[in-house]
Amino acid sequence: MLVDFNFRIIFEYLPLFLTGLKSTFLISVVSIILALITGIIACACRISGIKTIKYPAIAYIEIIRSTPLLVQIYFLYFGLPTLGLRVPEIQTGILALMLNSGAYIAEIIRAGINSVDEGQLEAGTSSGLNYFQKMRFIILPQALGVTIPPLLGQNIVLVKDSALLSLISVMELTRCGQTMTSERFMPSEAFFTVAFFYMCIYFCLKAVADWSQRKLIFREAY
Amino acid sequence: MMGFYFSRLVEIYPFFLKGLWMTSKIAFISLVSCTLIGFLLGIFRSSNSIVLKRIVGVYVAFVRGTPFVVQIFIIFFILPEWGLQLDAFPAALLAMAIMGSAFICEIVAGGIHSIHKGQWEAATASGLNLVQQLRLVIVPQAMKVILPPLVGQYVLLIKDTSVVSVIGVMELTRVGWVTVVRIPEGLMVFSLVGVLYFSISYPLILLSNYLERKMAV
Amino acid sequence: MIEFKNVNKWFGKLHVLNNIDLKIPKGEVLVICGPSGSGKSTLIRCINRLEKIQKGEIIVNKTPVHDKHTNLTKLRAQIGFVFQQFHLYPHMTVLQNVMLAPVNVKKIDKSDAEKIALKKLEKVGLTEKSHAYPAQLSGGQQQRVAIARGLAMSPEIMLFDEPTSALDPEMIGEVLDVMVNLVSEGMTMCVVTHEMGFAKKVADRVLFMDDGKIVETGTPDAFFDNPKTDRAAEFISKILTH
Repeated sequence: MLVDFNFRIIFEYLPLFLTGLKSTFLISVVSIILALITGIIACACRISGIKTIKYPAIAYIEIIRSTPLLVQIYFLYFGLPTLGLRVPEIQTGILALMLNSGAYIAEIIRAGINSVDEGQLEAGTSSGLNYFQKMRFIILPQALGVTIPPLLGQNIVLVKDSALLSLISVMELTRCGQTMTSERFMPSEAFFTVAFFYMCIYFCLKAVADWSQRKLIFREAY
Repeated sequence: MMGFYFSRLVEIYPFFLKGLWMTSKIAFISLVSCTLIGFLLGIFRSSNSIVLKRIVGVYVAFVRGTPFVVQIFIIFFILPEWGLQLDAFPAALLAMAIMGSAFICEIVAGGIHSIHKGQWEAATASGLNLVQQLRLVIVPQAMKVILPPLVGQYVLLIKDTSVVSVIGVMELTRVGWVTVVRIPEGLMVFSLVGVLYFSISYPLILLSNYLERKMAV
Repeated sequence: MIEFKNVNKWFGKLHVLNNIDLKIPKGEVLVICGPSGSGKSTLIRCINRLEKIQKGEIIVNKTPVHDKHTNLTKLRAQIGFVFQQFHLYPHMTVLQNVMLAPVNVKKIDKSDAEKIALKKLEKVGLTEKSHAYPAQLSGGQQQRVAIARGLAMSPEIMLFDEPTSALDPEMIGEVLDVMVNLVSEGMTMCVVTHEMGFAKKVADRVLFMDDGKIVETGTPDAFFDNPKTDRAAEFISKILTH
């Protein structure tokens, strides 16, 4: 059982795992940055009063939230070719992650903005500030504190979601586990190693997220 | 061309409904098992026993720190090495139960934690034992805090059933995947899959939003 | 009835109860006062083991409170506790709040428990509110319900931890009236409070605590009018200026 755990094999495959780890890291970083941009734009559309941009934004967010990420990935992976687009898997994967996390980020930001007390807006209006000034000086600085911990949480979710890209042949960390299993037929060594790497990433990201939560809750206590 | 494929799609529509039915079965069984186990774990997580808290904590950390697809691979490929050979469907249920109960555990523990210490003290001073305190005083009040995120977690679990397609369970996503090989109309096939998932997820999302508004009162 | 023998308690490095020796006979009404942090709340919370002690003994009705083998359920059935923040169960009606312990701890039949609960609510003057929820009551009413809840098990001892400190001034009187009535029925009571009028009216003895120690004891008149120690005098002058 565990006694036969073959560490030698793991060391043999370590270069492969590190390649996969690097790939996962790159995919995650690129995706989260793109998702942030998408989320900010989607949120801005969502809270705007203009119906022609508000309703498509709502539709986008609700469709993403009501359908599984894997289905969204397959939709793009199998669907884009039918439109004549030959997109490499890794870019398809990043696109799927970007659209998926973007919707959740839009909602996180929206919740953050809504969390700022109404009275703050009223005070700003009474001082004569216009919409953009109120956003810039009153709402966004305060909303930021509430928004950052859940955003870091979404970051963690995205790293785990990236594992699904292994199913469309992207050579990230999970795929390395699959490769090692099919080559050597040692699933224990392969997938426990993969799990171990993910847990390391998780604990690092979680430490940052917890730290941000502590620092920001302190500021909220008045 | 679209017309040709569309008629094929109508032809295999029953296949999709079978997939939806399988998804619903997995989802329902998982929701029930995860809720039961999750509540128990959540109570353990809130207990005064440091040992119990730590053990559940390690379990939750592992589940939350690794992708679900990796957990499924571990259960399906590694457990046989240890003597437990499972078919795809039971393996999927086991994986869902393990994953979902960890998340529900945290929701329940959070709800119990939100109850003011004074309620515990008042119940203790009256002479109630631990089980009575939880059953009569603490958990009924905690439900207000637990219910909205719990329903939200149910939506997530329904969507996570799509990942069990990787071990061959013929649920809705796998039906789409198998279909798209024969009918290479990716957009159409997975739009249909998406619509079917939407039809079971969206009502729950609306319920979760409604509960969140109601409980905030 | 209640005896403290060389009781000591620490919160980390803080010595919150310092060599407490105290005897409270049956039927005595004891008022405990002192500055915040003096250990007075901790003292009464040790009597029904809401807090644990590290050294010494507390004996209630010949039962050692902090012994491993003590039946806590039986012990707590003899002691009623009223909290500063009331801590009524918000998801239950007033009547259900009072009935909870008799039904579940003493295993009394529901209809009998209801009769008992109504009697206790009558004692505190709130029978007409039995089907209301705590959120619908004023602070004074909630605290009176809390007293009824404490009385529900027909205890021999009632402990009060600053029962009126969280109330608006105009509601303090209704709660103190209920407590005065209890005294006239011969209940053994320990009350942590600053209400001097109450102490002078019904207390048999006053205890002044500071820094975890019992600094001075005496009859209410003797204590409030002629304190023996400087610290007590300083404290009394401070609460008088309010």
